[in-house]
Amino acid sequence: MTATVSIVKNTADEECAAVTRWVSPALVGVAFVMWLAAVGVFVTHPLSRLPLYFANRYLVLDATSMLFMLVTNTVFLGICVYLYSRERNTPALTSDIRTRAALMLMFMAVLNLGLMANHLVLLWTLIEISTLCAAPLVARGERSTSHGVAWRYMLYSAMTLAITFLGFMCLTQSAHLRGVEVSFMVDQMGGALTRQSDAWQRLGLSFMLFGLGGKLGLAPMYGWLPETYESAPTTTSALLASIQFNVSVVAVFRILQIFHGFEAGFVSQELLVMGYISLVVAAIQIMACNNYKRLIAYACVSSSGVIALGLSVGKAAAYGVVLYIVSNAFVKSLLFLTAGRMRAVYGTNEVGPLSGVIRTLPLSGFLFAIGIFALLGFPPFASFLAEMLILSGIVQAGNLMAFTLMCVMLTIMFVATGRTVFPMLWGLPKVRMAPPTESWITLLPKLGFVAVLVMLGTYTPDVFTNLLRAVAVSIGG
Amino acid sequence: MRISLPLIACLLATVIPVFFGKLSVTPTWLSLQALALGWITLNKNEALDFHALEAGLEILIIRAWLVPHLLRRTLLSTREAELDVMPSNLFAWGAAVTLLILAFQFGNGARADVRALTLGVAAATVTIAFLVLATNREPVAQLVALLYMENALALFESLMPEPWPLPVHVAVSGVYVGTVVVGSWLIRSRHSSSLLAAQSREDGR
Repeated sequence: MTATVSIVKNTADEECAAVTRWVSPALVGVAFVMWLAAVGVFVTHPLSRLPLYFANRYLVLDATSMLFMLVTNTVFLGICVYLYSRERNTPALTSDIRTRAALMLMFMAVLNLGLMANHLVLLWTLIEISTLCAAPLVARGERSTSHGVAWRYMLYSAMTLAITFLGFMCLTQSAHLRGVEVSFMVDQMGGALTRQSDAWQRLGLSFMLFGLGGKLGLAPMYGWLPETYESAPTTTSALLASIQFNVSVVAVFRILQIFHGFEAGFVSQELLVMGYISLVVAAIQIMACNNYKRLIAYACVSSSGVIALGLSVGKAAAYGVVLYIVSNAFVKSLLFLTAGRMRAVYGTNEVGPLSGVIRTLPLSGFLFAIGIFALLGFPPFASFLAEMLILSGIVQAGNLMAFTLMCVMLTIMFVATGRTVFPMLWGLPKVRMAPPTESWITLLPKLGFVAVLVMLGTYTPDVFTNLLRAVAVSIGG
Repeated sequence: MRISLPLIACLLATVIPVFFGKLSVTPTWLSLQALALGWITLNKNEALDFHALEAGLEILIIRAWLVPHLLRRTLLSTREAELDVMPSNLFAWGAAVTLLILAFQFGNGARADVRALTLGVAAATVTIAFLVLATNREPVAQLVALLYMENALALFESLMPEPWPLPVHVAVSGVYVGTVVVGSWLIRSRHSSSLLAAQSREDGR
């Protein structure tokens, strides 16, 4: 009887695999076309010809949208290649691949539009739609609580975006009380702002930064991030941490571009406070962490804190912040995709049973170690250069308190991460298992991410440096 | 006066179910909110142009019919439908009244200025939605609160000198429908997985 059930199940799996065999190659194909389009736009549009407005000025191609389209589409291609390699060996993934691929493509299409949005409300709604695409992907995690986690992710996201929306309302009220009409076009909205001290304008700005800060995983509204990144399938965690995160960063950049020259001190103070709290929270949580996926998630909270501190300094650290954000997109994807491989082999996210990963999974263990070194800001990776630039910017701005706190917290995180991860990688194996074969396709995207990280940290082509610089200038650098 | 009346209707459709309603009747109140929104849109657009027609259709089809219908189906499948939207206790009521008063501080002289009244109603809707989120742990109630927030966004549009263009409209409507579709799916699947867990516990005994 059991044998018959097993045969029937195998036959059903084979039929399903035959029907859906085209889906993951097609997904990679579409991702490749999107990446080619992003690269094509980058090559054919010199910075001097930007910004270009289209679709009745609702979309814009400027340095910010170009940089982040390039980064997110590259990461997306890597994630799709990884999913393709995993799908070939995972029957559970095969049966679900059509829905996953559709949701991922919708997610990416919406976020590409969001990157180009020149209207704050449009950008707001596109981020919310991307959340609605991502929630079912989060619910596909292996844990029994995944649906609850997906629901809380959706709820948190709606709440943070509602706070941002309250900010829009306050700005409208501020403009109305001054007898000015407000337009939410990014390139025109500055005209409705005042340089005078205006409580409604400040309240609006603080709500918008606070709401989007929650979407970036900045404390105090970071609660959704660790459990979502841990519970979601690793490709989804990578999508959220490297792609949706960057679109939220673009939303913050758009607000900084609108408020360029207005309320600089106020913006700086709010970002500084959120950055401080995030770093402290992340350091404490990493010290107590014994789960490698959760550890990466808390590292994401700490990265958001570093970005907030860098943005609070403004001019001096802007280039470092942009480089840090770009490098982080690749670091997080590298770590999550490698964590996915370890999870697939060991069947757990806990650190304990994974002792001696580098002996069982030499390549994945090695790549995870590289990812951790990049995360901690070691040379020759871009994160090292970026952190140095941010710290030097903070010193130039004379904010020694921020400098001290960032150094202390990064040191604590370095020690805590090393204490958790190094025994996991190089300890004596607790479980004896034959080293599973690792296909080169699984490794390909991760090796690509490592190459990009090393390239950004050692030699960056002038054309890309100019793009980074243009984005830094647009946010006050 | 022409716009004040539907604004007050919209406010009542938001507030009454929160103070006195069960979750099972919220689809009806959401439909009423949507009809008030439609009334405001029609009053704002003197001529029946393309935008007014598109906005009216969106409100009638999506906000007044489709989304309440989907929400009603979800409520039918859950036991929580007979719960209050907001717990009936003095603390929650006090907080709700305070939030309503604070929301109307958005505009001094709200009675004289339709614009300030609109902003007050939108702010009241958002803050009440936050209160429902804070006081009710049931996912269905939280879903209703999210839909309130989306309606506040639609109301906010009437404050703009120019109506939002079609792409923004489509995106906002997409969020509204998407919220109820994804939310309902998550609630139903959570519900069925908890039923399965309870059944397997029973089988194990």
